[in-house]
Amino acid sequence: MSTLSPSSQATPTKPSLPIDLLPIDLARLVSQAHPALLLAAYYIRFPVLVADPVSTLLQTLLPVAAIQVVYAVICLPAVGSNAKPALVKKAKLNASKKGAEPSQVTGKAFTAIFSLLLSLLTTLPLFALQILFGAPVTSHLPHTALSSAHISLLALFPLFYVHGTSASKWREIVSIYSPIDEVFGGSLGALLGAWLGAVPIPLDWDRAWQAWPITVVTGAYIGYGVGKMVGGWLLRGKRVEFE
Amino acid sequence: MATQAPRPRVGTPSVPKAVPGNTNSIAAQYARAKALKDAQEKGGLDRNGRVKSPLVRLNEWKAARFGREWVWGWGFFGWLFFIHITGLYFFTRGFLLTRLVLEEKSLCAEPPVTLSASYKGLGDPENGCWHPKTFDKAIVLIIDALRYDFTVPFEASGEDPAQAYHNALPFLWETAIREPQNAFLLPFIADPPTSTLQRLKGLTTGTLPTFIDIGSNFAGTAIEEDNLLMQMRDAGKRIVHLGDDTWTALFPGYFEGNISRAYDSFNVWDLHSVDNGVNQHIFPLLGERRKDEWDVMVAHYLGVDHAGHRYGPNHPAMTGKLQQMDGVLRDVVRALDDDTLLVVMGDHGMDAKGDHGGESDDEVQAALWMYSKKGVFGRTQPSFVTPPLHAKERPVDQIDLVPTLALLLGLPIPFNNLGKPIEEAFAGKKGNAWENLANVVRTTAAGIKRYQAAYFAARGIDESTIDGSPRALWTLAENTLAGNGKQQMWQDAYRTFSEYQEKNLKVCRDLWARFDVPSMCLGIVILAAGVVSLMLFANCNTDDNTAIVDAPELDRTELQLEIDEFAKGNPPTVTEETTSRSLVRGALIGSLLGVAAGPTVWIATGGGTLLDFGLALTSVSGLIGVLYQEMRRRMAFGNPFPTSFWGWLAVIFTVSQSIGFASNSYTIWEDSITLFFISTFGIATAASSLRLEKKSEMTLGVYHSLVFVALGWAASFSKLCREEQMPYCRSTYYASANSSTSAPWQLIIPFVVAIVLPSIIKSYYTSSRNYEGLAPLWIGWAFRAGLFMSAVFWTLDAADDGEWFPNLGKNTLKSLRVPMAQTVFAMALGAGSVAFGWADPCVSITTEAVPNAASYTDGPSATLTVLGYANTHGTRYFLLVINLLLCILMVQKPMGGGAISLMTWQIFSLLEILDLNSLTTSPIGPVLLALLGSFHFFKTGHQASLASIQWESAFIPLHTIKYPWSPLLVALNSFGAQILAAAAVPLVVLWKQKPQKKGILKSVLRALAWHVAYYAVVGLATTMWAGWLRRHLMLYRIFSPKFMTAALVLLVVDIVGLVVSLVGVRWNTWKVGETFGWG
Repeated sequence: MSTLSPSSQATPTKPSLPIDLLPIDLARLVSQAHPALLLAAYYIRFPVLVADPVSTLLQTLLPVAAIQVVYAVICLPAVGSNAKPALVKKAKLNASKKGAEPSQVTGKAFTAIFSLLLSLLTTLPLFALQILFGAPVTSHLPHTALSSAHISLLALFPLFYVHGTSASKWREIVSIYSPIDEVFGGSLGALLGAWLGAVPIPLDWDRAWQAWPITVVTGAYIGYGVGKMVGGWLLRGKRVEFE
Repeated sequence: MATQAPRPRVGTPSVPKAVPGNTNSIAAQYARAKALKDAQEKGGLDRNGRVKSPLVRLNEWKAARFGREWVWGWGFFGWLFFIHITGLYFFTRGFLLTRLVLEEKSLCAEPPVTLSASYKGLGDPENGCWHPKTFDKAIVLIIDALRYDFTVPFEASGEDPAQAYHNALPFLWETAIREPQNAFLLPFIADPPTSTLQRLKGLTTGTLPTFIDIGSNFAGTAIEEDNLLMQMRDAGKRIVHLGDDTWTALFPGYFEGNISRAYDSFNVWDLHSVDNGVNQHIFPLLGERRKDEWDVMVAHYLGVDHAGHRYGPNHPAMTGKLQQMDGVLRDVVRALDDDTLLVVMGDHGMDAKGDHGGESDDEVQAALWMYSKKGVFGRTQPSFVTPPLHAKERPVDQIDLVPTLALLLGLPIPFNNLGKPIEEAFAGKKGNAWENLANVVRTTAAGIKRYQAAYFAARGIDESTIDGSPRALWTLAENTLAGNGKQQMWQDAYRTFSEYQEKNLKVCRDLWARFDVPSMCLGIVILAAGVVSLMLFANCNTDDNTAIVDAPELDRTELQLEIDEFAKGNPPTVTEETTSRSLVRGALIGSLLGVAAGPTVWIATGGGTLLDFGLALTSVSGLIGVLYQEMRRRMAFGNPFPTSFWGWLAVIFTVSQSIGFASNSYTIWEDSITLFFISTFGIATAASSLRLEKKSEMTLGVYHSLVFVALGWAASFSKLCREEQMPYCRSTYYASANSSTSAPWQLIIPFVVAIVLPSIIKSYYTSSRNYEGLAPLWIGWAFRAGLFMSAVFWTLDAADDGEWFPNLGKNTLKSLRVPMAQTVFAMALGAGSVAFGWADPCVSITTEAVPNAASYTDGPSATLTVLGYANTHGTRYFLLVINLLLCILMVQKPMGGGAISLMTWQIFSLLEILDLNSLTTSPIGPVLLALLGSFHFFKTGHQASLASIQWESAFIPLHTIKYPWSPLLVALNSFGAQILAAAAVPLVVLWKQKPQKKGILKSVLRALAWHVAYYAVVGLATTMWAGWLRRHLMLYRIFSPKFMTAALVLLVVDIVGLVVSLVGVRWNTWKVGETFGWG
């Protein structure tokens, strides 16, 4: 293998495009309100989170999932629906008529549930990742698992909803080569935020919020909000280049 | 994968002759195969000598050019080493505490203040100089590392079980309670650094130690200042010394020659020789017949300290040692006469692992017990009869012993003393001798006042300018005394004089932490300019043509062109040319100019010492020369920032960590932070590998990335926690947190390493078909045999520690295992170097007669296949790393050996990752190696603290201390991970590199520059923080040790780079070039 010329970075044969929001006003509105709502809710629950991380993280899991599902259903094109531009047009027509076809609604619901299941499943790799980055192994396992679940809901659920399980697309996503849009930007932001969230942990400030995994979850939420805005607007369409 | 070598180039003689007598050498095979092939080629090249002659000359020319460039490159790193040394020297000189040593001595007839009228006949040694003599004789018995809690009774409870060191030495406590007038027991607080040499200085001179002396612990230097022993000698007392030979180093010629016995103090494996020797001689000397042969006896037991170093405090050996001491003390007391004072003390404590040197509570809290049969001791409060349960209650400073002993023996208090008399010794039987107390404290305080005045005069400082000058307290105390002789007045005077002493001590502590800021700044500036030069060097030598076209056709055409041009007298364009030459010239010219201008500058600045001045001038002018050269070369700076994600990652890793060292938390948790960075890199390369087009490459890239992360994570289970990490960390390096021996299960690790590690290395060799030549023999057999021997060594060592074979003689196991370690070193360094020196590349050559027409358009009639051609450079160079690896593994304890093996595996996966993702020219590779080095420094049972140095590694292949080997072994043990990483740096370039690759040297120099840059930046940052935070509470616990570690690591890496990496690359390239011709 070694005589082969050192491999060059692959450029996918069919360059994928950034995701567009559903072309209705409600989608644009909800998309703007969504991170604000998430962060505000997080801010309100923060004292409780610091006081009792495990049960708070567990109890907020369902509401966060609900917010994410509502956001996805209203704003994002479900997987398969944006394959043809015609379909989008149709959706637009439907939306303007204020009466979606029942089959499409069930399709969306099915996609949302399926994506939720997948997010639950991918909590496990995220959990392993946190352990590899140095999360405690002999204690705090529920803490780590719940923080992974939250990160999964923020970063991965919308991706599943929009892209489904296409292997080539996911290869693009995992190699961080997917074009940046609102969804992918949010995911990158959440992961980067969680990464940066580890920074204050070692400091000897003796604050309750330095406990595992509060800073990481906080970083993920803030990162998600920032990444979603920046991805949908400033960096839209750009790709992350390693070289 | 079998690789089709490009067809042999032009003509036969491009290969050298086979080594005589070795017809099967690769070079010979290659030459023969080539000749065969040439003979078969019909349209052959012309052989009239005109063409092949330029080829030979071209090869020679290239070899010579490589040699020249190498010398310049080596010169650059040598110069850099010099810069690092001078920078660190100037900083250290200004940073470490300095104290002026005064010549003055206290004289019996010249008390510092008019003595109280109530004392009669003072002023001559017979009655007592400054205080009535209480004892004629004294025995000072030191139990090294006797921590205070060893002497305190302990009631075990369910959740707090007794440790091995509890209740083993009850005698001191019992006597203090049973005979309060004869004995007292107090916590005895040492001033850090808590090494024996420093402590003995403090215990005899009564002054504070300075930090810089700690390095002389291995050698020991005579004390010139006024001290207790000097006063004793001047008073005609005969001093006998038994035990630790540090005393004879500090006080040469003080002791009675024929009855004193000194024993080697640094053999920490030996728990009994010193103690038994002392016991053998102490009791006869106490007996009736011989007790007139001496006046003062110093007996220094080392067993407890050595048991701590070797096993940690919580080990049956410690119980045994303390019980033995208990018995010894009972016997000594039994033999004691009425006129002899007995002082028993620890010179320092020990931390949870039994080591010492720093300033944690456990290390500074020793015990002091004084005893006499005269019944002169008292307590000022009845509750004080019970000795303190904890060392925080009623502690006395170790320097307080100096005035106490001096006054009790009727001697003048040494001139430099800063301590105060211990209350219990002067309070009288009833504890109400306030007049006596006030008088002794006043005399002592006056001595301190006299010393202060002399010190400030010598230093040229106005005493009144010192903040919080305690002068007012002195006046107040004197005024108190002026009243009438009531008990209350004496009590008040005692309080005020004590307060004066305490204030003074505090002032001195602050004063001697007086830093020489200009010198520190000069050091920092030199280091910073060194970093800048290094970055410029690394940046300027980046490859312009990163696009590597790998086509044999092109290569051949290019070579033909080169030869044609060369024949015409035009040497090829110089790809090997680096900027080292211009930089080294800049340094030399700058330094020369500096030296030439030196005398003028020296006169202008008023000079200093010649050495300091010369060093400063040479380095500063050299740096200016380098920077000038760079400026001239480029005139304009290019973009100084990294251009790729990976470059940024390298910068973020280095800089964020360096900034973090300004915080004690990030310094304490450095091990977790490096793991975090290592994992980040692995995950990033996994993502990047997914972008690779070829499925096989993608799979391999992801696989190696995950292996890289998983191995780092696995290694993170080896932990040795520092005190500050408690309670969030649990040590796993030794059997328990209170031990310094390995657990039995850990002994399996070296055997697993011996079985598995060579196979892992083999797998990386076979993946590129390079398990050929010397590799199977050296890796599969010699390396493995060495590892097995090392594993047996550690088993024998554990057998010795655990006394598994009580029937064997005391030294049998030691004499068995030491030769094993010596054999391993001989094999690795002796045989290994010869093997690396003479080995042919790890390739094998076959010739196929069947033409493989598909690959070559001109249809050669024979194909020359060189197995492993594509990784010729890397696999051969790694043989050198293996030799070093064997040495490093030999000196690591079982757990550390496991960590270093994981690191070796990580290095391989890192090399594969870099190769697959075309990152071999990025700074990320060398920086990641540096991170691996830093990470595994912690995983081999070290911390950036003095107490974590594994001194006993000096004895692995030796019976006694031998210079320079012992310090070298300790360095190899401490910095093994960084040494391995630095030696592996050239592999970033050499791994998966075919023979005639151009510009190898340039790439290696650049990689080494990035690698050193990581340590240089960290070194600069920790230096700056240590200087900036010099008044920080945690300076001596955290910032100063971190600075010293970083500085040492920087120098070690510099040396390894110069001596191992660069020399190895030169030799390796030479050998590959000899075989395959030069690129």
